[in-house]
Amino acid sequence: METAHKRPNYILIWVYLALLTAAELGLAFQLPISRNWKLALLLFLAVWKALLVALFFMHLKFERWNLRIMALIPIPLALIFMAAAMSEHIW
Amino acid sequence: MTTVAATSQAAHGQHDDRSFLRKYIFSTDHKIIGIQFLFVSLFFLLVGGILAMQMRWQLGFPGKPMPGGGILPDTMAPGGVILPEYYIQLVTMHGTFMIFFAIMPLLVGVYANFLIPLKIGAHDMAFPRINMASFWLAFAAGLVMLASLFVPDGASRAGWTQYVPLSARHDLSGASYGQELWSISIILLGLSSILGSLNYITTVINNRAPGMTWFRLPLSIWSLFITAILGLLALPVLSGAAIMLLFDQVLGTHFFDPGAGGQPLLWQHLFWFFGHPEVYILILPAMGMVSDLIANGSRKPIFGYHSMVFAIVAIGFLGWIVWGHHMFVSGMNPTLGSSFMVSTLIIAVPSAVKTFNWMGTMWRGNLQFHVPMLNAVAFVAMFVIGGLSGIYMAATPVDMFIHDTYFIVAHLHYVLFGGSLFALFGAIPYWYPKMFGRMMSERWGKVHFWLTFVFYNLVFFPMHILGMGGAMRRIYDPTQYDFLKPYQPLNVFISICAFLLFATQFIFFVNFWWSLRRGKVADQNPWHDNGLEWTLPNPAPHGNWTRVPTVYRGPYEYSSPEVAEDYLPQTRKLPTDREPASAPVAGH
Amino acid sequence: MTHATATVDEMRPPFPAERGLDVYNLKLGMWVFLASEVMFFSALIGSYVILRFGAAGEWARPGVVLNIPITAFNTFLLICSSVSMVKAYAAIADGDQRGLRLWLGLTILGGATFVGVQVFEYLHLVERGFTPAGIRDGSELAALVANGTLPAATAGLYGSTFFTMTGFHGFHVTCGVVSMLYLYFTKVLPGKYSRQDYRGIETVGLYWHFVDLVWIILFTIVYLV
Repeated sequence: METAHKRPNYILIWVYLALLTAAELGLAFQLPISRNWKLALLLFLAVWKALLVALFFMHLKFERWNLRIMALIPIPLALIFMAAAMSEHIW
Repeated sequence: MTTVAATSQAAHGQHDDRSFLRKYIFSTDHKIIGIQFLFVSLFFLLVGGILAMQMRWQLGFPGKPMPGGGILPDTMAPGGVILPEYYIQLVTMHGTFMIFFAIMPLLVGVYANFLIPLKIGAHDMAFPRINMASFWLAFAAGLVMLASLFVPDGASRAGWTQYVPLSARHDLSGASYGQELWSISIILLGLSSILGSLNYITTVINNRAPGMTWFRLPLSIWSLFITAILGLLALPVLSGAAIMLLFDQVLGTHFFDPGAGGQPLLWQHLFWFFGHPEVYILILPAMGMVSDLIANGSRKPIFGYHSMVFAIVAIGFLGWIVWGHHMFVSGMNPTLGSSFMVSTLIIAVPSAVKTFNWMGTMWRGNLQFHVPMLNAVAFVAMFVIGGLSGIYMAATPVDMFIHDTYFIVAHLHYVLFGGSLFALFGAIPYWYPKMFGRMMSERWGKVHFWLTFVFYNLVFFPMHILGMGGAMRRIYDPTQYDFLKPYQPLNVFISICAFLLFATQFIFFVNFWWSLRRGKVADQNPWHDNGLEWTLPNPAPHGNWTRVPTVYRGPYEYSSPEVAEDYLPQTRKLPTDREPASAPVAGH
Repeated sequence: MTHATATVDEMRPPFPAERGLDVYNLKLGMWVFLASEVMFFSALIGSYVILRFGAAGEWARPGVVLNIPITAFNTFLLICSSVSMVKAYAAIADGDQRGLRLWLGLTILGGATFVGVQVFEYLHLVERGFTPAGIRDGSELAALVANGTLPAATAGLYGSTFFTMTGFHGFHVTCGVVSMLYLYFTKVLPGKYSRQDYRGIETVGLYWHFVDLVWIILFTIVYLV
């Protein structure tokens, strides 16, 4: 039994994912922009793809808010850890 | 379509014709698994104690042959005289066994497994077979760790914290296979813990009986639930770190190898990012069970139940952002250090809330000092001392001086022994009747309690003084330093009291094993407790209930004006009670 | 003592004491497990980020050591298998057994091929001299180190982090393929799933999408950056 919602168009999501991947490849090799911008854009594209998979394939968009929170909890923890350890090398 | 939830568990309330092997060895019954954890963990508690006794021999009587030391190989203790190479193994393994194979499984493996389904009104855990896998993984991990003591060059020599490069390089530590076995054992244990945690979390969220709302859960269950979340999210980090360490040890990777661009401090960050939630895993279940015991022993509701819940959640939440206080002297970024100081001082607040609430519970209660209550009250007192020393250490400037001294050793033993172990000494006799159908001896329990309490304080309180005097942790021979020579009589005193403390524990062990067969047959509810488990016969049958109970109130309705008795079980329906919103359908 | 003979909806949580998360045990358990997996991969990937950020020297440029075209194809393959997985889920939600068999079969094929390609990639890399311990002396890549194309100072870390992260990811993919194969032969082919109960498919699907999600992140930050 699926929760009552219109089923997403999975093939359309697949097209988006393919396009985003192609964009990443193009960006990584072709565009003559600075390294930091490239990194930021690549991360942005990767996160966008990940969100598409999480929200539509894993149905998070259609689950209750508390399940979404539960799925998200590890992320701030991971970020805090990385930020703290990386701060060793900033100053 | 009427939505009736099915309990897709194995046959319950039916004639139990499983073989001995399926019933007691490869059991999927949460109660049996809890008892398996209990037996195995008590064994490892003994192992940890034996290792500690050897350490205390060396510290009290450095260089003297140890009684019974003749059985040790000459590479470790020629003529019974402990070598430094062996001493550091004792230190490492004492910490490792006590934390990972005694306290953690005793609190979580035993009581999360045994209590959760019983106290929430479920037939069993959400995933009984995964539960069984969790136990056998932990058992295998324990065997691997035990084996590391007997391999060539002996066990790991890097402390339970396994700082690199000592842990990663055999040429530096002198250990070989023992180091790898440590890593492998911890990886197995991490998996066991993660599987257990996911079971506890799913069960508490989904399998509560009708009427068992979140704020009617006993505090033991709340604390085990938050502990499970901590374990779920922290153990994988340890597993990842142990894998990287193992790879550095055997595959020649360079994660922590500064010569090739690796970062030794990365190990410390990874380890303590796990390690700090780990210490809350080691104390929260104890706090939860103590709450149940104190309410029962005071014949009063817990003072401030809601704030107790919020305190548990706050501790669980804040516990993620304090790990750097283990690294104040590591050379990490000082600004980062300051932020950790602030967060560490803040985390004292919810613990203090809990302490005041325990005292508020006892205030003007009809106090019954049975053995569990004695131990629970001792927990509160000892935990306060451990917490106060924690405030000292939280202040970075102070910690600069007392880090890696016996002051820290005193603190950690006050919270782990004075805290967690006393809570266990209360919890074990308390739920013993429900596990085994008999009571442990009350008289010998009291003798054990008082002797333990006295000797324990005589052992660990002086360590604060030693630490302030500059006595370092993990050193082999304190008398080699002139500034420590004046403290040696204190070391001798501590060692003698430690031997007496260890000897006292035999009273507990004998009481435990003897009572299995010869203890007084227990009533169904000997402590007049309100929890759901006390509505079941002793020992509780496979599947727990034939018909899942309905819950009408919280767990701490002691001395309620609504009834003549001084306790009012959660499942007892009074004429004024209404059925909960989701009433059970016929057949449950 | 018998259960009620009322219709049972396995796809609702057992005791709706409150509305709660509204998911059945298997699905909740999988989400909880995935939370732990996020932490596990965060430890490995976070360490890579920390090590690379703190590395004294330059890191190798994309494409010098690793084969981007093959891995890009592999990425696309894994994404396709994620799509076929969700199509399999949609099929059985409609009661379409044939669709389930087709799409799940394709997913298994896609996953197995991914692992195969990755094994091939590993063998090729080791042959060229790239190992977890660093660059092997006298190998093809050692020459690149000598002429400065491949920074020597960070090559060891590069190998350590690359093989550990992608290796554990590949291990997780393999476990997923094995699980799906097991379900395929014990439940899917005999037609044990139905429109009323396809919990196993949804649950393994969540795991599979997660594995794809991790790869999406890994591919970007390991191969392209």
